Amino acid sequence: MTVDNQDSGSPAMRFEILKALKDGAAARVGRLAFAGRLPIDTPNFIAITSRGAVPHITPDNAEKHLKTTGAYMALEDFIERPQQYLKRTPPIYQASTTPKHPTRLHSFTATPPSVTTILSARRLPAVPAPMGNTTNAVSVFTSTGFQSLTTTEYHSAVEALRPDIAIPLADLTHTTTTPNSKRALRMAERTDEWTVEWFSALSNSNVSTFAPVLPIPYSIQWEYISRLAEDYLPTGQLAGLALYDADVLPDLESHSPSLLPLPRLAFTNPPTPHHILRQISLGIDLFTLPFLNQISDAGLALSFTFPAPPDSKDMPGPQPLAIDLSHPTHATSLLPLSPTTTNCACYACTSHHRAYIHHLLHAREMLGWTLLQIHNHAVISSFFAGVRATIAEGGADALEQATKRFATVYEADFPEGMAERPRARGYQFKSVGGGEGKRNKPAWGKLGGNEDGNGEGKTEERGGEEEDGIVKAVEEMAVEEKEGR
Amino acid sequence: MWATARRMASHRTFTSPALKFELVAQCSVRMTCTTRARASILTLPHGIVNLPIFMPVATQASLKGLTPEQLEATNCRLCLNNTYHLGLKPGQEVLDAIGGAHKLQGWNHNILTDSGGFQMVSLLKLANVTEEGVRFLSPHDGSPMLLTPEHSISLQNSIGSDIMMQLDDVIVTTCPDKVRMREAMERSVRWLDRCIAAHKKPESQNLFCIIQGGLDLDMRRECVRQMLARDTPGIAIGGLSGGEAKDDFCKVVAACTELLPDLKPRYVMGIGYPEDLVVSVALGADMFDCVWPTRTARFGNAITKHGVLNMKREIYATDFGPIEDGCGCPCCRPVDQEGAMGVTRAFVHHNAAKETVAAHLLTLHNVWYQLDLMRRAREAIIQDRFPAFVKEFFANLYPDSSKYPSWAVDALRGVGIDLLET
Ligand SMILES: [Zn+2]
Ligand SMILES: [Zn+2]
Ligand SMILES: [Zn+2]
Repeated sequence: MTVDNQDSGSPAMRFEILKALKDGAAARVGRLAFAGRLPIDTPNFIAITSRGAVPHITPDNAEKHLKTTGAYMALEDFIERPQQYLKRTPPIYQASTTPKHPTRLHSFTATPPSVTTILSARRLPAVPAPMGNTTNAVSVFTSTGFQSLTTTEYHSAVEALRPDIAIPLADLTHTTTTPNSKRALRMAERTDEWTVEWFSALSNSNVSTFAPVLPIPYSIQWEYISRLAEDYLPTGQLAGLALYDADVLPDLESHSPSLLPLPRLAFTNPPTPHHILRQISLGIDLFTLPFLNQISDAGLALSFTFPAPPDSKDMPGPQPLAIDLSHPTHATSLLPLSPTTTNCACYACTSHHRAYIHHLLHAREMLGWTLLQIHNHAVISSFFAGVRATIAEGGADALEQATKRFATVYEADFPEGMAERPRARGYQFKSVGGGEGKRNKPAWGKLGGNEDGNGEGKTEERGGEEEDGIVKAVEEMAVEEKEGR
Repeated sequence: MWATARRMASHRTFTSPALKFELVAQCSVRMTCTTRARASILTLPHGIVNLPIFMPVATQASLKGLTPEQLEATNCRLCLNNTYHLGLKPGQEVLDAIGGAHKLQGWNHNILTDSGGFQMVSLLKLANVTEEGVRFLSPHDGSPMLLTPEHSISLQNSIGSDIMMQLDDVIVTTCPDKVRMREAMERSVRWLDRCIAAHKKPESQNLFCIIQGGLDLDMRRECVRQMLARDTPGIAIGGLSGGEAKDDFCKVVAACTELLPDLKPRYVMGIGYPEDLVVSVALGADMFDCVWPTRTARFGNAITKHGVLNMKREIYATDFGPIEDGCGCPCCRPVDQEGAMGVTRAFVHHNAAKETVAAHLLTLHNVWYQLDLMRRAREAIIQDRFPAFVKEFFANLYPDSSKYPSWAVDALRGVGIDLLET
């Protein structure tokens, strides 16, 4: 079964299903390829960027060490209106392209050309906007505050930036609470209208549209989904689906089977690999995983493989999904970041050891997060490779068995360490939820206010309180005095 | 050609158990070149280092977000770690268990460590220097602590640095108290003797002396003589960059280098501004370190041959050129070259003070700039065109020659370069 859009409205994309465990909403392996980009073997994940960069990872490290072939970008990260320059055109729209950076999105963010880009309006996860959306605009949160983004503005942004995959605007609440049926109906109606508008406006055939499927019951959004299937699938304008809830898939199977061959991208925020496995079995092809950046910031090194390693007497009981490298037991450990059973071949594991990461976390050196990002992205990458191999070589039973075993070998949740680490670092103010965002922002105000800072003021890695904070402050004074300037 | 070959053949070399110093070229031996600038090859336990050199400061065994691999790619072969910081974290016990700082940070090139004394004195206001050592209150719990020359060396032995510094009695050069200044100088000599006696690994680690004496040139000369008598494999000029006038700084460096032997490396501590580096090289210094290039990167500043540019300024928001035209660093080099990232000023502006990545990119660029500046100075010395290099450097930095800093004009005139000559 192959969906080949080469003769359709999206000539740039090709999605090939190599093996499906059954027709419909079930696990499958495939290959998603965009002209000029490295193909993405599915099931897989794409990295989530913050302001166009995978947090803590410079483009050279991304290319060499991250082993990800896709990058999620949020338009709200690029369209802030600085107080003194309220009228300015967002700089990203003026970026020039080169053979190495063939689109404005690639070029502005120095993203390697091999990387597939996905553009959506909001960050993942998005900060809920107090004022909500209107009939022709969504609320977005930029580094200078909330502002509204109209459907027209968003269309021109997509035309200008030319992402490989664009997600049309959806009327979402970005809260965890389920909307009441009246609100849910309005979400469906608005998204339906916006999608019609989108397809009539979008002229760039290099952009593949993945239409949003809302996190509300199928029965409320069936009209919208039928329109996708009947109006935009036959024309080839619809290239894929962007699901905000994987559990809508079984309903799609029964009611809109024609949509099933499309690639399925998930904005479902699975909290653990167990949830990822469940969503794979429902038929998700491509994931975005907000927990990854958060886990690295929390000092945790992922430590699981798929399939889970064979039983061993040395490792009784459920194994942790991640290792808290800030724990003192790692202070002198020369082991690679995750257990040797995981055979992690990432740069952090082959060139460094736990003791170094532990030291860097303890000293609040930024390199600790960089190395954890490299490792954690590598572990997830291997996890998906294991899933693909299981499906390809074993089939439905093998996947089910291995998923069950994974659930018994590994603990249900990530370790507590996550919550214990101080994480008051302002740059991620938008990714951690509204309330915390507001708390973190002033810390940046101080740094930002130091316009001519030539060695005075606070450095960005500040953020610890307690005794470490004091030591740090004292140390910084020392450095300044040594410079004598 | 022939001259070069002859000079190559006549390299003079100094060897000590953990160091080899090979003088490759010297400005002063040529008629056209009258400065004291030198080009040399320093061989340390973790490999060869070309001098003159700028050494980036990886304070806590990490260069501000760069991976050791990225640091290596800037051609850095010798960086600094701070003994005071590593003594606090991860601490001596951990360093011993791991097997030293090279192993800790996965850095297979050379490391230089300071004694830890400077940090204590300058940052802990309650520190108190006695003949025994530096007394201070622990920043952790306020308990009284003591850093002795023996303890500093023991820590540096645990770190395993290729170059260790003696504990010295540092006071600001501008201190008007002559008696205290002399006491500090003489105590530093006595502490060197204690450091030498405490040093357990002279076969694999080099201990450098530090010349003190404030701005008093006679006291500096006296210190040089006393320190030289101890015959350390390398010599540092300390106590500078503490707020003294640049004229005074240059006089001290010149007074010291005049007396120093040709065949030992000379390290001026705490120097990092490009002008300071270039003038100090002309005055005969070989090695420099400073946190300024990496620290200023974290405030959004890019060092370029035309001066320091603050990437946070709005004019860079839509500037799609490289951080510095013509720079060969991975951020700036032309995109068709190997390892080029194609980073623009606009992208750095976009993320300055917002994502750590912007700081990492500017750190990468700034470290590259500093190392490349010294590499080009070295080439100029070897090719007998160092004065022309110095003139070009200042012309790039100050389009209007009437703005040349007078301290630099004067210091360079003292070694035969007339910056204002047309
Ligand atoms: Zn790893
Ligand atoms: Zn010369
Ligand atoms: Zn550069």
